[in-house]
Amino acid sequence: MKINDLSLYSKYAFRDLLRSYSKILSIIITLLISLFILSAILTIEDSLENELNENSKVLLGGDLEIDYNNREGDKNLIKQVENISTVSQIVEFSTMISTIEKKQNKTSFTRIKAIDQNYPLYGDVIFEPVGSLKKLNEIDNTILVNENIFKNLNLKINDIVKVQNIKFKVIGVVKVLPDIGGAFVFGDFALTGKKTLDKLELNTLGSFLNYEYKIKFDDYKNKDKKINEIKKIFKNNDKVKIRYPENSAGGIKRIIDNFSQFLSLVSISAMLIAGIGIANTLLSFINQKNSSIAVQKAIGINSGNIKTIYYLQLLISLIFISLVAYGLSFFLVPVVDKYISDGLGLNIQASFSLTNLFIVFMVGLLVIIIFSIPTVNSIDQIKASSLFRNVFQSLQFKYSKLSISLSLLLLTILISLFAFRSSIPTYSLIYFASFFVCLAVFFYVSRFIILLLRNNLFNLGISSKIAIKNITQSKSITPITVMSLGLGMTLLLTLAFVGSNFKREIAKSIPEIAPDYFFLGIQNNQKNLFKKIIIDTDKEAVTEIVPMVSAGLVKINGIDPNTYISNSNDSYWVIMNDRRVSWVNTIPKDNPILEGSWWDTSKPNKLQISLDSKVAKDFGVNIGDKFTLRIYGREIEGEVVNFRLVNYQDLSINFAMLLNPQFAENIPHEYLSTIKFKNIKSFNEVNFLDKFPSVSIIKISDYLSKVTDVLNKVFIAVSIISAVTVIIGLVVISSAIIVQRKIKIFQNLVFKILGFSKKEIIMSSIIEFIISFLSIIFFSTIFAVLASKFIIENIFQLKWLFEINIFFYVTIGVGVATLALIIITNFRYLSPKVYPLVRNE
Amino acid sequence: MNKLLKLSNVSLNYTIDNNSINILKNISFEVDYKETISIVGESGSGKTSLIMLIGGLEKNSAGNIFFKDSEISNMTEDEISEIRRKNIGIVFQSFYLIPNYTALENVSLSLEINKLDNATKKAKEILDRFGLSNRFNNLPSQLSGGEQQRVAIARSVVMKPELILADEPTGNLDSENTENISSLLFNYIKDENASLIMVTHDNNLANLTKRKIIIKDGVISENQ
Repeated sequence: MKINDLSLYSKYAFRDLLRSYSKILSIIITLLISLFILSAILTIEDSLENELNENSKVLLGGDLEIDYNNREGDKNLIKQVENISTVSQIVEFSTMISTIEKKQNKTSFTRIKAIDQNYPLYGDVIFEPVGSLKKLNEIDNTILVNENIFKNLNLKINDIVKVQNIKFKVIGVVKVLPDIGGAFVFGDFALTGKKTLDKLELNTLGSFLNYEYKIKFDDYKNKDKKINEIKKIFKNNDKVKIRYPENSAGGIKRIIDNFSQFLSLVSISAMLIAGIGIANTLLSFINQKNSSIAVQKAIGINSGNIKTIYYLQLLISLIFISLVAYGLSFFLVPVVDKYISDGLGLNIQASFSLTNLFIVFMVGLLVIIIFSIPTVNSIDQIKASSLFRNVFQSLQFKYSKLSISLSLLLLTILISLFAFRSSIPTYSLIYFASFFVCLAVFFYVSRFIILLLRNNLFNLGISSKIAIKNITQSKSITPITVMSLGLGMTLLLTLAFVGSNFKREIAKSIPEIAPDYFFLGIQNNQKNLFKKIIIDTDKEAVTEIVPMVSAGLVKINGIDPNTYISNSNDSYWVIMNDRRVSWVNTIPKDNPILEGSWWDTSKPNKLQISLDSKVAKDFGVNIGDKFTLRIYGREIEGEVVNFRLVNYQDLSINFAMLLNPQFAENIPHEYLSTIKFKNIKSFNEVNFLDKFPSVSIIKISDYLSKVTDVLNKVFIAVSIISAVTVIIGLVVISSAIIVQRKIKIFQNLVFKILGFSKKEIIMSSIIEFIISFLSIIFFSTIFAVLASKFIIENIFQLKWLFEINIFFYVTIGVGVATLALIIITNFRYLSPKVYPLVRNE
Repeated sequence: MNKLLKLSNVSLNYTIDNNSINILKNISFEVDYKETISIVGESGSGKTSLIMLIGGLEKNSAGNIFFKDSEISNMTEDEISEIRRKNIGIVFQSFYLIPNYTALENVSLSLEINKLDNATKKAKEILDRFGLSNRFNNLPSQLSGGEQQRVAIARSVVMKPELILADEPTGNLDSENTENISSLLFNYIKDENASLIMVTHDNNLANLTKRKIIIKDGVISENQ
């Protein structure tokens, strides 16, 4: 085709579109909704990643971070660093904050940052009142607490709180910290001055103590040179980890990647469901243009050029829709920013990305072409000779080997575009495979219903007969209803089942298995007193107390595991930092041995290691392999002697690595304890902390309620987004009904002439819906049960149960919405005017 | 050959449910330049099928059709489309204007497809000539039946085709409009030296043509 021709056909396409866009409104709406969701995901993901990248120095807290883990840094080395840059020392630790002046005193497990005058090197701390941050290092024993602690402990400015056995004055509230790359993302936190640190009794294990030195280069231009100098300074110190800005917030990035991968799959599901509607509406649109196309053919425009005009109309619509959808997504960013800012201290802003706009357009284009090929090809069926006969055959989808091959090729490109952009392509491919299996099943279900009802085995009332006739007629909307709603329902039910099972399992673990409290940082000399106090409080309390020491897994069979195990490995956390390890004489009840044998007591001087079987599998470790652990700076080699099945879900004490007590009990250690009280009210946290000021208490129910709260919000967000697939399905059904407008009006007119009541006609619509919907529920439930069971049992390794309430909420909700839509859409056609129809106008 | 159109032993058969139906049998006639012919006959005799074959809108089952020495029966659809858009104008009984195009756009469509300059100007001239200068921007739904057929004729003649095919051009019009349309059509043909093949039941209209071909049961019964 020449440029001149293209320009001419574009003119026709544009003109036709301007004058008949209302007839393809459902295409525009479904495309707009699904492309908006996709745009929103891409824009938000992009904005978050931009924020994380642009603010990576802020998130890290410096141009570099020297992490000394739980030991204070070597002052000589730090001094050398200070000679070439500005250094801010930060010590993070976890401990308890308690009120002491209230009628009912309360405590809170808190992560505290002890900061110096240089903090923060990058970014801003948001706090109030003005000047309170500076006072931390000017006035001893002052503290800024976060808003949550301030509210939960019912604090006022200048109230006194106790941290361990030291009194602190609360001089302000801290709202946002710039360096959220560490453990400050979700928990409660507070800031205090560096000087205060020396007054507290911090134990390395229970306090999760961490010394960090943030570095800012005064002359950033010579950054690389200075980085090399710093590397040289710490060259011989393998206990130190140097972190760079690009490593900051890696965890958040992973969460964003996974979440956006899931949402992208939901959006493409919505697009594919929309595609079913596009094909149907477009066929109706071309059917309405039947005589105009015949005239164009009579004038001498060939079929190929007419098809070009229709493709151009779709292309013009898509360009417009893509721009609007992408533009609208920018309005969502401030909404997300509000929640993100509150939670993570990030400040995201929408930024234009040509790549994202192109992706949105390309996805839309692929979906449109895939679903419009058989529809636009139906133009070949229109003959100019029909104009002489005044008889126009209804068009059908036209498939050919070439068009099917092209559609499959484009579908493959579309799937690849999503799958290979995602962090875990296999999951995306499994998702797509499941989607198309469901689609095929729903299609054949609809054919089966039609076949079953066509045999007319039923002797029913007139409304039922009309309903059955509507379902079995050649232009029935049953296949479209079953496919589009079936897929949406399947997705929604699956997520609802996963969400409810997940929440139930977590909630269930509180009373049944989980202890009431974790106690961290019990010193050797406090162990007996601790036990006594617990027994004195509640004789029937179940106490578990185990030794604990910090150990870093530095070599596996003589090789640094960080050199070959990537951070995408499920068990990477075991080598990421030092882990807490313990020792025990007998096999833990809930940790059965899967391979190997328990401790060889004939070798008390040899370190033996019992390893979590999942970690062993992820790292490719075999029985007899050698692990080198670094404990208190000393490297000790041990042998892996057995693999245990560890169930972290029960929230009891569990360790990835257990050591043989014959070897380990001489290592200086602390104790970790869990307590399950018979009468939890008998335990007073504040009184306990008076006796054990350095011990940290984690109340499991508080912790779980926070987790459940976060999960609730996530599942609500996910369910709302997934409901988009149902909304798209409803638009598709609505458009399918509108496509049948003429048939419906004519049918209802005949019914009116024959004396049918509106009630009988409405009843027939309801019966028609019920027949389709029951089969949708049946098969959606089967798919949702299989998918959610797989996810809950195999991915989360939890117990799956059929949640009857969730089933009813979702099915009744979607059912009522669909029925209402069907009745409202059909209602317009209930009272046709007789005159224009009998005059064939 | 110096004939505008030549049909030689042309037949048209349809096969429905394995039964072959002979619509037209061994039709042969010639049409001179500037000649006007009416095709008359009873309903179902094959009149409309005949002009569909002439316009290249149906393929003949046997025989040959020559348009200006070119045999159109063997041409591809695209080749026939090319001949039709440059040389043949078609007028339908039911007007068949494109409903969402204005009168002017309906007429200029043919000119634009043929990439002629000043398409809008030429379309306006022909509409003006047909008395529709105040109807340029009206949609077909805003026009009367007579006006719609005038636009349809304007569309079919705007390319100045050598052959105009008309299928019952006044069949949907009242007597007053019938008279207006027929005089408009025949005046135009006379002025522009075009040829006309017209299917009609209307004897008065048929009498306006130079020659009358009567079709009966798919064969030419009279060629006067």
